[in-house]
Amino acid sequence: MDSKLKSRSRAALALSLASAALLTGCGSGSSAPAAKDDGQPIEVWARAGTDAATTYSALFKEFTAKTGVQVNFQGVPDLDQQLQTRAASKKLPDIVINDSAALGNYTSQGYLQKIDKSSVAGNDAIPDSLWKETQGLDGSTYGVPFSRQTMVTLIRKDWREKLGLPVPKTQEDLAKLAAAFATQDPDGNGQADTYGMTVPGSTERGYFGWWASSYLWQDGGAYLKDDGNGKYSASASGAQAGVTWIKQQFCTPGNTQPGALTAATSAATPFFQTGKTGIILTGPYNFSSFDASLGKDKYEVIETPKGSKDNTVLAEGENIYVTATNGKKDQTKQVIDFLVSPDGQKAGMTAGKQPIVRVPVNSGVDAAAVYNDPRWTVVQDALKNSSKSFPSAINFVPIKQAAAEALNKIASDCAADNVASGLKDLDTAINNELTSQNAKS
Amino acid sequence: MTTAPTKPARSLTRAPDTGQAPARRKLRNSKQLLAIWLFLVPAAVLGLYFKFIPMVEGIRLSFFKVQPFLGDVFVGLDNYVSVLTDSRFMEALGHTVVLGVTQTLGALVVGFALALLLEGQARSLWILRTTIFLPVVTALAVVGEIWRILYFPTADGPLNSILGWLGLGPMQFLNGTDTALWSIAVVGIWSGAPYNMVIILAGLTGVDRSLYESAGVDGASIWQRLRYITLPALRPSLVIVLTLAAIRSLRSFTEVYVLTGGGPAGSTEVWMTRMYSLGFQRNDIGVASAAAVLLLVVTLLLTVGTQLLGKRKAAR
Repeated sequence: MDSKLKSRSRAALALSLASAALLTGCGSGSSAPAAKDDGQPIEVWARAGTDAATTYSALFKEFTAKTGVQVNFQGVPDLDQQLQTRAASKKLPDIVINDSAALGNYTSQGYLQKIDKSSVAGNDAIPDSLWKETQGLDGSTYGVPFSRQTMVTLIRKDWREKLGLPVPKTQEDLAKLAAAFATQDPDGNGQADTYGMTVPGSTERGYFGWWASSYLWQDGGAYLKDDGNGKYSASASGAQAGVTWIKQQFCTPGNTQPGALTAATSAATPFFQTGKTGIILTGPYNFSSFDASLGKDKYEVIETPKGSKDNTVLAEGENIYVTATNGKKDQTKQVIDFLVSPDGQKAGMTAGKQPIVRVPVNSGVDAAAVYNDPRWTVVQDALKNSSKSFPSAINFVPIKQAAAEALNKIASDCAADNVASGLKDLDTAINNELTSQNAKS
Repeated sequence: MTTAPTKPARSLTRAPDTGQAPARRKLRNSKQLLAIWLFLVPAAVLGLYFKFIPMVEGIRLSFFKVQPFLGDVFVGLDNYVSVLTDSRFMEALGHTVVLGVTQTLGALVVGFALALLLEGQARSLWILRTTIFLPVVTALAVVGEIWRILYFPTADGPLNSILGWLGLGPMQFLNGTDTALWSIAVVGIWSGAPYNMVIILAGLTGVDRSLYESAGVDGASIWQRLRYITLPALRPSLVIVLTLAAIRSLRSFTEVYVLTGGGPAGSTEVWMTRMYSLGFQRNDIGVASAAAVLLLVVTLLLTVGTQLLGKRKAAR
């Protein structure tokens, strides 16, 4: 290559680099952008698959018909990833409807505006306990409750009756039933191809920690302790009884489905759906798909069996979040007021195939009556009397993840006496995480 | 754009008088250059946008606490320190190396054996080669789901029933902490070997047949022919295969993610799955970027190392 050619190619390279830099608009700001109204319809995002998104669309259609306010709704299955992209462009959607557990993460990223609870019409119809779950570490309110639910225990009724066993009342009963399902051929096909419980025991997205929490609470344990004033400390060491029970299920062949330790819910749930397992602890959102695949008469929703302490189950839900870049004050208020009103809540339950409001947060609405389905009474009662939720002021995701990893380790080694030591390690991991979030007492 | 293809013909006819018109030649030269650059621009822009800018951005992010909304905060080498001092990352590194070495060597040996078995022109061989190549063109996620079924850890699982006929007990495969990593390696070999086979097959066609014949006349055994004729002739192909395989195994993600998600008890967690869960499940983009940069450096060193090794051997 002669020198002229070299210098020319160098110049061309420099030119293309420069133009690329121009095009990408290099350079980044370093403070949170301000809220402003761009005159477009209010943009609402919700974590929703196709079915749920249809319900949302129907709901907002009703809202627009009533108020004349246009809504640009998007159902986003991978909401958090997409939010990050929008955060990078400093323009978040105006309203986000997502898990109540997302609150800690969102506030730490500066995504949210504070909400004046008293400005929400009908705020006194929402129980104080739910409002409390929308508080950030600083005690301010950062979300509006929209929907709640608890985990429920589903049992294959036909299998249980065929084997002549009673509805399980305690954790021991549940374990016995699981063993019977695994060994006594409840489907009567002459093959040992049925198992007891469906368990998502994978560490992926912390599934194991999520599933196990109910059983831990039932035996008086917990991952962490709320020390007040937005401070927490690890307490997993006190959960030996529950974890031991869980480990027993994994180490009794057949009590859990094969491959449970690497199964996320997507891999685990089909075992119940296709009649390979007879017990599942899951959310009521699965009713419709189980009704379709198994049949409504084949399974029952039972009151959660008691552990040594009580029958607490995990409660979860969705909140309405107002983002920091939202400058549409009036429209936002109208959307929120409608979503938590009796009409809005009912529409969320019935407007589409899949309910987006599971158990209404508005105490004026009765889930069992709206659905005309006594199974929802079980959910509603559990929510009212014996449920607990993960703390939402902190970012609980890493803690759930740490719990899943620790439990997965404990349950994968049946020969070892590792419950106490494994939980001690979990305590260390949780405390480290709390410290890094400035939430360690 | 039409100047480039017509140019050779013109320069041929005008050859005699070019010496008298250097200015015109210069003009033509620059026109030619312009054409070259114009043709390069689409690829260059695409490469720039989808490869190099993201890469530079990734390197930049590795020095920041990434908060897309509040603005990134410069933290120096903190992210690198937290990667290198994280015991889970170190465990993941161990698994990655074990998985990488097993998969690379396994796929090489199996690919070599397949190539030797399936070399030739017959139609039946052509069909067989196509069949065996299928795993390479199948989406890895699909391959993973199929192997999850094959590995079903009860006595009536497909692979376990075969083991049962041989009188071997049902194995845990993906569900056991001791067997999970090896089970993944087998999947990697299964899907990687046919690719190697094709490269080696191409190399085999370049081996001079007469060498085999003369070796046969001299009474060389099959093993000797392999050792002293085939292998040396295949050196360039083997270097390519080794380099590609090493890079691929360091980056292995899909098979692990689909098959075990890193479990049970973290026994199959590799560098990429750890990076993924930090970056996209914990939103710790800075630390994940630092891990990615480290992976890039290691890959670069490994590639250059293999190339140098191949060159030195070839020179000897």
